[in-house]
Amino acid sequence: MPLDYKIAERTLTNGLRVIVSEDHSVPNVTVNLWVNVGSRHEVEGRTGFAHLFEHLMFQGSRNVASGEHFSALMAAGGRLNATTWFDRTNYFETVPRGAMDLALWMEADRHGHLLDAVNQENLDNQRDVVKEEKRQRYDNMPYGNALIDIYAAIFPKGHPYHHATIGSMADLDAASVQDVHDFFRSHYGPDNTVLTLVGDLTPDEGFASAERYFGPLPATAAARRDPVEPLPALSDAARDEHIEDVPSDHLYISFRLPVDDTPEFFASSLAMDIVGGLATSRLCRRLVRHEQSATSASAHAMGFVDGVSLGFIMIDVAEGVSADAVEAAVCEELVRFAEQGPTDIEMESAMAQTERSWLSSLASQEERADHICHFATLQGDSGYINTYLDRLAEVTPAQVQQAAARWLMPQSRAVVAYLKQDGDTK
Amino acid sequence: MTGYDSVTQPESVLERPQVSPPEPWAFPDAQRSQLANGLGVVSYDIPGQYVISVCLAVPMPLDREPRDREGIATIMARTLDEGTARHTAEEFAELLERKGIALGAGVSDAGLVVTLDVSKRHLGEALDLLSQAVREPAFPANEVSRHIKTRLAEIDQERAVPGQRAAIEFSATYFDPGERASRPTAGAKATVSVITPQDLVDFHAANVVPAGATVVIAGDLSDLDVVSEIEQALGSWNGVAAEVVEAHEAARALDATRVVFLDRPGSVQTEFYVGCPGPDHSVHGGWAPYQVLGFVVGGSPNARVDAVLREDKGYTYGIRSGFRPRRRGGMFLTSGSVRADSTVEALGLLLDILDKAREGFTQEETMAGVDFIGRTAPGRFATADAVAEEAAALSLEGLTTEFTTANLQALLDVDADALAAAYDRYVNGEWTVVVVGDAGLYAEGVRALNRGEVTVLPA
Repeated sequence: MPLDYKIAERTLTNGLRVIVSEDHSVPNVTVNLWVNVGSRHEVEGRTGFAHLFEHLMFQGSRNVASGEHFSALMAAGGRLNATTWFDRTNYFETVPRGAMDLALWMEADRHGHLLDAVNQENLDNQRDVVKEEKRQRYDNMPYGNALIDIYAAIFPKGHPYHHATIGSMADLDAASVQDVHDFFRSHYGPDNTVLTLVGDLTPDEGFASAERYFGPLPATAAARRDPVEPLPALSDAARDEHIEDVPSDHLYISFRLPVDDTPEFFASSLAMDIVGGLATSRLCRRLVRHEQSATSASAHAMGFVDGVSLGFIMIDVAEGVSADAVEAAVCEELVRFAEQGPTDIEMESAMAQTERSWLSSLASQEERADHICHFATLQGDSGYINTYLDRLAEVTPAQVQQAAARWLMPQSRAVVAYLKQDGDTK
Repeated sequence: MTGYDSVTQPESVLERPQVSPPEPWAFPDAQRSQLANGLGVVSYDIPGQYVISVCLAVPMPLDREPRDREGIATIMARTLDEGTARHTAEEFAELLERKGIALGAGVSDAGLVVTLDVSKRHLGEALDLLSQAVREPAFPANEVSRHIKTRLAEIDQERAVPGQRAAIEFSATYFDPGERASRPTAGAKATVSVITPQDLVDFHAANVVPAGATVVIAGDLSDLDVVSEIEQALGSWNGVAAEVVEAHEAARALDATRVVFLDRPGSVQTEFYVGCPGPDHSVHGGWAPYQVLGFVVGGSPNARVDAVLREDKGYTYGIRSGFRPRRRGGMFLTSGSVRADSTVEALGLLLDILDKAREGFTQEETMAGVDFIGRTAPGRFATADAVAEEAAALSLEGLTTEFTTANLQALLDVDADALAAAYDRYVNGEWTVVVVGDAGLYAEGVRALNRGEVTVLPA
């Protein structure tokens, strides 16, 4: 179905790409910046640094006091945050129209002049905060490290996606003020950033404000390296087993997928949905409904840009059932799917659910701005949000079957298993 | 495009821009009507929202559950679409997915809410399926037993996750044991495992009826006759309403002012869950000050709690406070986790901050809170799902989104005195505290804080 969100784009002389999407439905503007740096750019011994750096962006810059980014914008009615991921780092706030200039001024100050305010004290403080984030989300949670184990199992050592964005405690400890300076100078600057403004403004107003606040910043980022060489599917299955104090056995069955924004990735993503992602997926029907050997089965595809993407199936094994037997059943279904390909109803369902969730994700200005920045930064296409569904709809059942046969075969899986201690079911 | 000639050198500093007052905004207008069967219909036309959100809210206080079948409302909610008079569970799931329909249901202390998200062109089919799930669920034995097993596994998961474990223990400690609120909404192993399909049929027939229920529909409704669509799907829905019992405020336990330390040996963090009584939406003097208090005390990295525990000490990724209204009465809750070896100091600091707030608030932090709550409203209520969920939740309290509008207006009159009065009205230092962490290492230190009797229990 054709979408027609308005998109206007201009590049400033310092290289900053500015995209404006006019939408007067509420008197707000979302300011969203993507910097083309993520944990894939981290070097050995400094894992977790891109994310730690993102935290320091809230600790003050040349003309902004520590913590003021949050306090000043929230007091003006702003909702804001930032996130770091393998491929990129984003910074965003949704503010009333009358606070847009303040938001842009503050963003330009930290994106241009962060280092004036970085010191050992705020580095140490945010290092501690990030370590608590890691403990809260990963280390103190049952199965909390499963995704980290998946990345390590499916991508080879040294690959950009082998280590998780949160990094390691030892590497966080090793981070220095000098590292912050080096990282900022290598990766931050208007020439490595995309700014999207969505909301109650015209393109001319957005371009003028962007020019006013970001125009004076010099182009400082180092050139991006080329994407690393594509990875093929694993040729031999890999396994990483953890016997732990967990409430039930979990299996994470992961696969390499082709790079994002390609027909092959779209096809493999639809295959993941049909095998394990839908409520009517093959694994849900067989394991959860019929055999009741699992209490849940789900599947996810994560699109990446550096030579490979990731797909994984997650199974919560039912009490008293052998995890090995469940894994064998998953493998049978993978082989069967690669032989049969999808049915018409499966294709219809996967497309329909993707369409609804895509439209839902475009419903708010903030998420729409994030999608626009995403695809402008990583795929070079600021109009992607309007064309994605049409491109997805071009994927044929044969392509889905081919993708499954190439990427989702049992011998290409890496399994991370979390198994109960003292289990009598193995 | 050329640069601005006011910029004479790259390093020159532009003056900090002033914030101009926000543009006028109002919560979307509601169209209200009622079907002959007593079902209220509320619609919000929000142009540009192409995914339509529907929420059906059925008042159903949780204490209607039989004591020996607690969790039945949750199991019912989860099995409404697992087989109906006309379709098997699998057929039904397929009918939903082929049209890209997301159908869900859940229960709170006040009632059942069934939610539906669907792109506009499939609304008619979606409403028909919603109607079948709500009116004609079959509760097939194999699906019921599967969902019971899933709930039993979920109970084990909840016990293993520190934040959820803390929340469960908090309710058990805070509320009088005679209150339904002292026990998990979704039930315990003993009460869930004995639920039968016939129990569900009976519970459904007695409680899921149109009289008193409200269906909310929000989104881009242009070219749709909403009332007629709803009438077609739900107009012939009938059922005898259960006896209306005035909701009561769940009593706090006589020994609620104490510390329960759940021992989780080896924990690298310690989870805190701290609370005392709070109001519901009908509180005298208005709800608005309580929203602001949540923000000022524990709603941002610069709020009172995290200014110390996160930004100064680095003990936590973030701790949040807020007033949580129930159907009647409510609570003031603070929760989050800290580095294990900071447990004793962090808990002492946290309780000190919460107590010290009784001395009052500055006008500056008051205004920051007022402006945050008020000026974020246009964005918070910009999407169809947010509007529908707000209206549905309020309907279970007998309120409409007129409340939301009036509350935003009342917010403008909140000052530091109003905050102090509101805080003082409920917060008197009588905290119920649950700690989940390594008791062997830290329980003695917590005891030495003299913040109430400390009971150590296995997690």
